[in-house]
Amino acid sequence: MTNFHRIVWQLLIVLIAGMFSSQLELLAADVRFGTDIVPILTKLGCNGGGCHGKATGQNGFKLSLLGFEPDQDYESLVAEGRGRRLSQAAPDRSLLLLKATSSVPHGGGRRLDQSSDDYHLLRDWIAQGSPAPRSDDPQLVRIELSPRNQVLATNETLQLKATAFFSNGTSRDVTKQAVYQSNELGIAAVEIDGLVKTGTQPGLVAVMARFGEQIATFHAAVPFVTDPAKRAVIEEQLRGIGFQPVSPSSQNDGRQDDRQDASPTNTHLLNQWRKLAVVPSATADDATFLRRASIDICGTLPTSGEITEYLADSRLDKKSRLIDRLLDRPEYASYFALKWSDILQNRGAGYSTGKQRAGTTLFAGWIRDSLATNKPYDQFVSELLTASGSQYENPPALWYRTVRKSSEYVESVAQAFLGVRIQCAQCHHHPTERWSQSDYFSLAANFARVGRKGGFADAEVPTDEIIFLKDRSAVLHPRTGERLQPRPLGGSEFLLGPDDDPRVSLARWMTSRDNPFFARTMANRVWAHFLGRGLVHPIDDARSTNPPSNPELLDALAQDFATSGFNVKHLIRSITLSHAYGLESAPHAGNTGDTQTFSRFYPRRLSAEVLLDGFSQVLEVPTVFAGVRAGTRAIDLPDENVAAHFLDVFGRPARMSACECERVDAPALTQALELVNSAEIQRKLTEKSGYSQRLAESDKSHADIANEVFVRVLARKPRADELKAAADYLALEPDRAEACRSLLWSLLVTNEFLFNH
Amino acid sequence: MPTIDRLTRRNLLQIGAPLLGLGLADFLRLEARSAEAGRSHSNKSLIVFWTDGGISQQDSYDVKPDAPVEYRGMYESIKTNVPGVVLSERLALQAKVMDRLSIVRSVHHENGIHAPSAHWMQTGYFGPTLARNAAQKPSMGSVIARSIGSRQPPMPAYVTIPKSEAFGYQGAVYLGKSYNPFEVGADPNGKDFKVPNLSPPDGLTAKSVDARRTLLNTFDTLRRDIDDSGVMEGLDTFKKQALEMVAGDRMRAAFDLSAEDDKLRDQYGRHRYGQSALLARRLVEAGARCVNINTGNWDHHNDIEKGLDEHLPPLDRAIAALVEDLTARGMLNDVIIYCAGEFGRTPRMNGHAGRDHWSDCFSVLLAGGGIQGGRIVGASEKWGGGVQERLVTPLDLLATIYHILGVPLDTHYEDVSGRPTSIVGGGLPIQELL
Repeated sequence: MTNFHRIVWQLLIVLIAGMFSSQLELLAADVRFGTDIVPILTKLGCNGGGCHGKATGQNGFKLSLLGFEPDQDYESLVAEGRGRRLSQAAPDRSLLLLKATSSVPHGGGRRLDQSSDDYHLLRDWIAQGSPAPRSDDPQLVRIELSPRNQVLATNETLQLKATAFFSNGTSRDVTKQAVYQSNELGIAAVEIDGLVKTGTQPGLVAVMARFGEQIATFHAAVPFVTDPAKRAVIEEQLRGIGFQPVSPSSQNDGRQDDRQDASPTNTHLLNQWRKLAVVPSATADDATFLRRASIDICGTLPTSGEITEYLADSRLDKKSRLIDRLLDRPEYASYFALKWSDILQNRGAGYSTGKQRAGTTLFAGWIRDSLATNKPYDQFVSELLTASGSQYENPPALWYRTVRKSSEYVESVAQAFLGVRIQCAQCHHHPTERWSQSDYFSLAANFARVGRKGGFADAEVPTDEIIFLKDRSAVLHPRTGERLQPRPLGGSEFLLGPDDDPRVSLARWMTSRDNPFFARTMANRVWAHFLGRGLVHPIDDARSTNPPSNPELLDALAQDFATSGFNVKHLIRSITLSHAYGLESAPHAGNTGDTQTFSRFYPRRLSAEVLLDGFSQVLEVPTVFAGVRAGTRAIDLPDENVAAHFLDVFGRPARMSACECERVDAPALTQALELVNSAEIQRKLTEKSGYSQRLAESDKSHADIANEVFVRVLARKPRADELKAAADYLALEPDRAEACRSLLWSLLVTNEFLFNH
Repeated sequence: MPTIDRLTRRNLLQIGAPLLGLGLADFLRLEARSAEAGRSHSNKSLIVFWTDGGISQQDSYDVKPDAPVEYRGMYESIKTNVPGVVLSERLALQAKVMDRLSIVRSVHHENGIHAPSAHWMQTGYFGPTLARNAAQKPSMGSVIARSIGSRQPPMPAYVTIPKSEAFGYQGAVYLGKSYNPFEVGADPNGKDFKVPNLSPPDGLTAKSVDARRTLLNTFDTLRRDIDDSGVMEGLDTFKKQALEMVAGDRMRAAFDLSAEDDKLRDQYGRHRYGQSALLARRLVEAGARCVNINTGNWDHHNDIEKGLDEHLPPLDRAIAALVEDLTARGMLNDVIIYCAGEFGRTPRMNGHAGRDHWSDCFSVLLAGGGIQGGRIVGASEKWGGGVQERLVTPLDLLATIYHILGVPLDTHYEDVSGRPTSIVGGGLPIQELL
């Protein structure tokens, strides 16, 4: 190198250094990619699932969903754009900033203001040479929200403060950078900067904040009444409900009084009503309770005889006797087997031959027997998960016919038994939970050695496979390629010998009494079955960001269930004898709008099978199903693949997922047409041997007919005006048979019949 | 930001307007998910000719007159009323209205099996590979039904003629069963064409229906405020509507083909395709939004000439007559006509005088609804095979249709796991047609 060259170089270096030093003075402290830049991209929505965060990116620019993979994002921004996206020489001309400020056309519109702090931070980071994430960068450890809990009035505001804590012991305010989301918008909304605004609707609400990969939740209770004087009145009313222990009286054989006033369930319900200043509705009358419990436990309407008998019973423990009676009936097992056949996807579609169908019948039978004998729930689930061999010897092995792939194992187990929706974590970190792809595939690894042999009736449809434990298997992390060992959700690797079936370890972990998911999920599922809504809602979406509406109640139910030895009938007994289950569905001024605290019974439409069986029972004309024994009830069908238009339009699920949400009660025109106009309903009304025809042929008076029909259909006597209307109509219509049909039909199509209320 | 449409029951409540205060028409609109603020609604509808099994593009809309015979096939090509555009001689009637039709000749996806491919074309997404696995994504008809609903209730938003394809890829899946198609359930060309549950069953007279309605009004007195979920309110509305339909004439009239002039019926053709097309026109006229006519089967692996001689002329007649009829009624700009199947067929004939499955490059027809006529979008390679220019994906086709109908392209629906799923993914409307 010549002197000349040397001088030129030195000059250049001095010049460049000078440029940098002068610029550095203007810059903020070192900006870090992972903890400063990525949260901005998240806050601005750049890496959302609808934009650059989706798997295919957007217009060639792809970010990891919600910034869970900062290294990838750094690649995209810095390397992939070949310098186009960031310009150190002229940071303001970086495509990233031009797009975000919409200075050049941007499909996502204007996301960022040039005068904002976020803009300056992004600009500074680019100016600093867009430094890469470094292994010694302080890591984000957790975030906290303050306050964490608060009682708020309606139409009130509260500013949340979010603080991030880092591995180097520092912390900083990230209120502006965090992203917020409310789980009940009607109760409280949250603005972009963490300002919570309650609305006009009282109730419970959780607001989630996310910064980086960390989340925190704020809980608010918005009472129905805030005025102290009015609250005092409500306190008094709540005391009047009479939640004091009652000593067993001599006339009921020493059994507990029905009200079970001091049970933990009732105590926790009452505490919540107190907290929210809600006054529960009145207690439902006996006939309503009988119909309600018969439908919910046995999927069956009470007969007129049962109604008379129950109303005449004056024992103090008649409710608990009723519940015991219902739980002992075969219909209990049938009805809950239908529910579990949905959850366990005992699917018949695609299996058209008799030989193939046998499988679903066996599996349904095994479920039914397990329920009838009150097999402990932990044993039920263990037998299912660890099933091997042929379905003919071991029917639960059939579960492995429907559930065949990694994703199906993980999602079915997580949703059905752990109450967790983990689907998200198959492709990316769960956006509102701690579950990562490692969690997902480590759970999958428990099933990697499930082997199948034989049993294919044709190329595509497996029938009676033998399930066995394969010698080896591997589940790899889809991104890192790391080999993952079997591990429970949120726990550490199982210690397994070469001959140990990981499924056994998984089942043992799951069914241990202190498992954080297992008993709670079942308690919540059964609660939702009877009360119309889970304490965690939806029932299989437990997350810290979707908290239970009454955590103490759920804890108590779960603990009691585990302590009872996972006794399902015991669980049902304590739920159906709770104060909430016995309430009227009608709201009053003190609880209108309550959809969370069970201060009244939340009605729901009878499910497809119960409704169709109800028509058959009332009219004494069974439904004819092709391919099954004559007289089979809809709740006893072997699988969902039995043709019945009525069941389909009323929401029978196709058993494609472990989610109970697959069974829908959404109203539809086709349902109404089925009720109003279908040949099946008309047949049930006109059948010669049916109830309607026999009633017409009897010599009963109009008033007798009206009285009888009301009790039969609606489980209650007609009111005076109803009796008169019915009798008048019967007198007016010359065709007595048609009169009976129309009267029956008009009661069967009332909401009072169509709903459990 | 994308529109996350999660108008679940809970959200229904959160809209703030108590359902009790809404009138019948309001509720229907709400139920049809069309009351969301800020959405403009076009008056447009869609008629689909679904060519189940896969129609041969080289024997219909993308002929190769200069190719060797094993590529060219058995048909001559004919001129159309658009200079430079030629069609198969089996599409002689469409050739006369080509100025109002457009063809996309470069549709491409990557599967060659019926069910997943049909799923791909109907929903925009790759589908399940085993026939026993049901659909995973909602079909375009269900998306339309949920997003913008019926043009005029009580006409159903989404109808299939004669019924939906068995694999469920014409269904609503996680959108909810209310958005499944209303199945006509019978061949409109049949002698006693009648829609199930629309006419009263035998023995139920109009007088009885009236009596039942009166009795129901008397006895259906359960307090409505016990149910916050909207289910009871919805059922009330639908019960009323169903009774009106049965007692009244509106819906039955729409399905009554005998009300049409015999000459017009002949012009559509006295076969399933022709009468289905005529029925579809009556239905969209009365307020239906999307009518899907299932045709075929077009799965001609053997002796394709025999198969196409049977199926192409009636399809040709049905489409051409529909175009003429809509034009005559001044409705052509309001009704999209879309003819597509799960894929096309191999450019080279096989050893059984047939053609096999081919999804690398195939054709669909689009017309009406304001779509430019006489346009050819994209091109296949010289003798067929791959896409020569302007690759179009199934999602692009859906995006085009949604865009014209006024379905917001940024709509996302939550699947069963609560994951927001885009209705068009990265699909973009085909600008050349707009």
